[in-house]
Amino acid sequence: MTQTAQQTVRVGLEQGLHMVPCSLIVRTAERFSCEIQIQKADRSADAKTMLDLLTLSAENGNVLVLEARGAEAGEAVEALARLFESNFVDPASGSKPATGSDR
Amino acid sequence: MQIKRGIAVSPGVVTGEVLVLGTEDFRIPNRFVSIDAVESELGRFRNTLEAVWEEIEENERLARDELGDQFGAIFGAHLQMARDPKLLAEIEGLISENSLSPEYASSRVLRRFARELQNLGNHYHAERAVDIFDLEKRILRHLLGERREELVHLTAPVVVLAHNLTPSETANLDRNFVMGFATEVGGHTSHTAILAGALEIPAVVGLGHCLADVSGGEMVIIDGNHGEVILDPDEATLAKYRVLEERVHSVSERLASLKSLPAETLDGTSITLLGNIEFPEEAEVCRNRGAGGIGLYRTEFLYLEQDLVPSEEDHYEAYLKVIAADPLHPVTIRTLDIGADKVPDSLGELAPDQVNPQLGLRSVRLSLRNIPLFKIQLRAILRAAVEGDVRVMFPLVSNLLELRQARMILGDVMDDLEEQKLPFRRDVPVGIMVEVPAAVMLAEEFAREVDFFSIGTNDLIQYTLAVDRADPSVSDLYRSGDPSILRLIRAVISAAAKYDVAVTVCGQMSSDPVFIPLLVGMGVRQFSSTPHAIPELKEVIRNLTIEQAEQIAAHAQSLDLARDVENYLRGELNRICPDLVL
Repeated sequence: MTQTAQQTVRVGLEQGLHMVPCSLIVRTAERFSCEIQIQKADRSADAKTMLDLLTLSAENGNVLVLEARGAEAGEAVEALARLFESNFVDPASGSKPATGSDR
Repeated sequence: MQIKRGIAVSPGVVTGEVLVLGTEDFRIPNRFVSIDAVESELGRFRNTLEAVWEEIEENERLARDELGDQFGAIFGAHLQMARDPKLLAEIEGLISENSLSPEYASSRVLRRFARELQNLGNHYHAERAVDIFDLEKRILRHLLGERREELVHLTAPVVVLAHNLTPSETANLDRNFVMGFATEVGGHTSHTAILAGALEIPAVVGLGHCLADVSGGEMVIIDGNHGEVILDPDEATLAKYRVLEERVHSVSERLASLKSLPAETLDGTSITLLGNIEFPEEAEVCRNRGAGGIGLYRTEFLYLEQDLVPSEEDHYEAYLKVIAADPLHPVTIRTLDIGADKVPDSLGELAPDQVNPQLGLRSVRLSLRNIPLFKIQLRAILRAAVEGDVRVMFPLVSNLLELRQARMILGDVMDDLEEQKLPFRRDVPVGIMVEVPAAVMLAEEFAREVDFFSIGTNDLIQYTLAVDRADPSVSDLYRSGDPSILRLIRAVISAAAKYDVAVTVCGQMSSDPVFIPLLVGMGVRQFSSTPHAIPELKEVIRNLTIEQAEQIAAHAQSLDLARDVENYLRGELNRICPDLVL
């Protein structure tokens, strides 16, 4: 039976899920071979696709559902949940990610 | 099949596959690719992606190093976007399944995403559309950038279609693979036209919008004789042009055999046929075409070829090269004739944006206001004159004061060179381009003070008829055969004759066989034309008697409409040399 896992998370970023957090989600999701979806209301986005995530347009305070199917589904969901819980502090730098509008 | 009309600037007919070049603002050159090109287009797209990823990674590295991790992360995100499997799959799907070109496919998919973001209503996400446009630009720049480089790396014969070609692009067209070209903009005497003639491949300019109607790889016919470009011709048209191409080929072979024969009329009058050049390399072409020398060396391309102002040595070397190609024949060097469509970056500050460049600070005026610059060129000319029969000519002279000032500076330069004990020639013949109506009106006064005239018909027609020669909307008013022009030419010839001043006619008019009988009949004995025209002009001369020419000239000058003059002359040429009237 295929593994599945699910978790609810909340967006705690002022600018919502903008480009840099999206890229962190993709980077994390890509590590796993299972299928990972993020749902907001009735819209679903593939967690490994930047453009899908961006068009999800998740804003501050939105509740999202993380869902994974396949190998290591549990680990995948957990890794992503941790990102949301830490408000996307970039593990590489330990500082909050800049918003895309600062160039 | 579509027929587009433009301005014929280099004769000949060619049929071939088209290579469409995009413009700087990333206009998509073609929407579709042919089915057999799909594999190679996918390959090109994937190569582009590699280049784009590398570029973004580099940006990320730089940003992290210089601005900090958080800024690097932005590029990291861009990279994620550029690697997005769904995005790439969608684009590649459009290429392989719908035969869309990579440019069109990328643009379509990215713009769709951008639109989606913009429609989300969330201000921040809408702004992210900018990132997507950024990626689109990056991808297109690589895809199109590759295309423009393709001009230098062609591997199969093509006909080039572009919005415009820069002088260096035109000059660098690989004659082995570029069989002809056509552009949307450009005029009769634009540098592209001039260079096309030098390349001796058919070319048509000023077509107007047509890039959107063509897909890369389609068949295209360029008719440089009639100024027509035929897109996607049908079978009947293809056959017709095949026959024409063969005929043109055999005529040009016959003309080539004239090379060693003299340009002499049937009754033994010798006419001098000279060549016009922009680059020193073309001097060789002139010699091969049987030219009796260089009647016009347009030196401004020395300034256009590089970013810095050319040094005296740059000038000197170029002039030596020209002389070396044919050391026994004269070389007439025209001083800087910058302005209008040719302002180079290096001189930008000296000739600020002008509302009316054709009437503004250009040519000898510019030189007289920038004496150090002028002296550099004059020094090089005088020094090169030691090695050959060099003459110097000033362009756009509009009053006697300009001529006298230029001569005075020339004298100063001679004194400088003498003091510095550098070898030069003092007795270099000095002449002017007669191209401003004012100079024609005072032709006698000028004749007293120069050694020769060169009638610059391109500009003379423009200033006399008040028609912008680069403006396609009035190109039908720009007529070499206008009676007013004939009258001006006659005035120059008779003034020159009084003072024993030699007259050469240069410009498009002297490259057109149709006008040769007329001009010879009016007394012209020297022509300077585009090299490829020389065999044709020789053919006309060798089939002409002076008496015939004088009759033709007399009749032509009795007509009062340009149209009538040109029709008459065409009819006469048809009687003399039917092969040349295609």
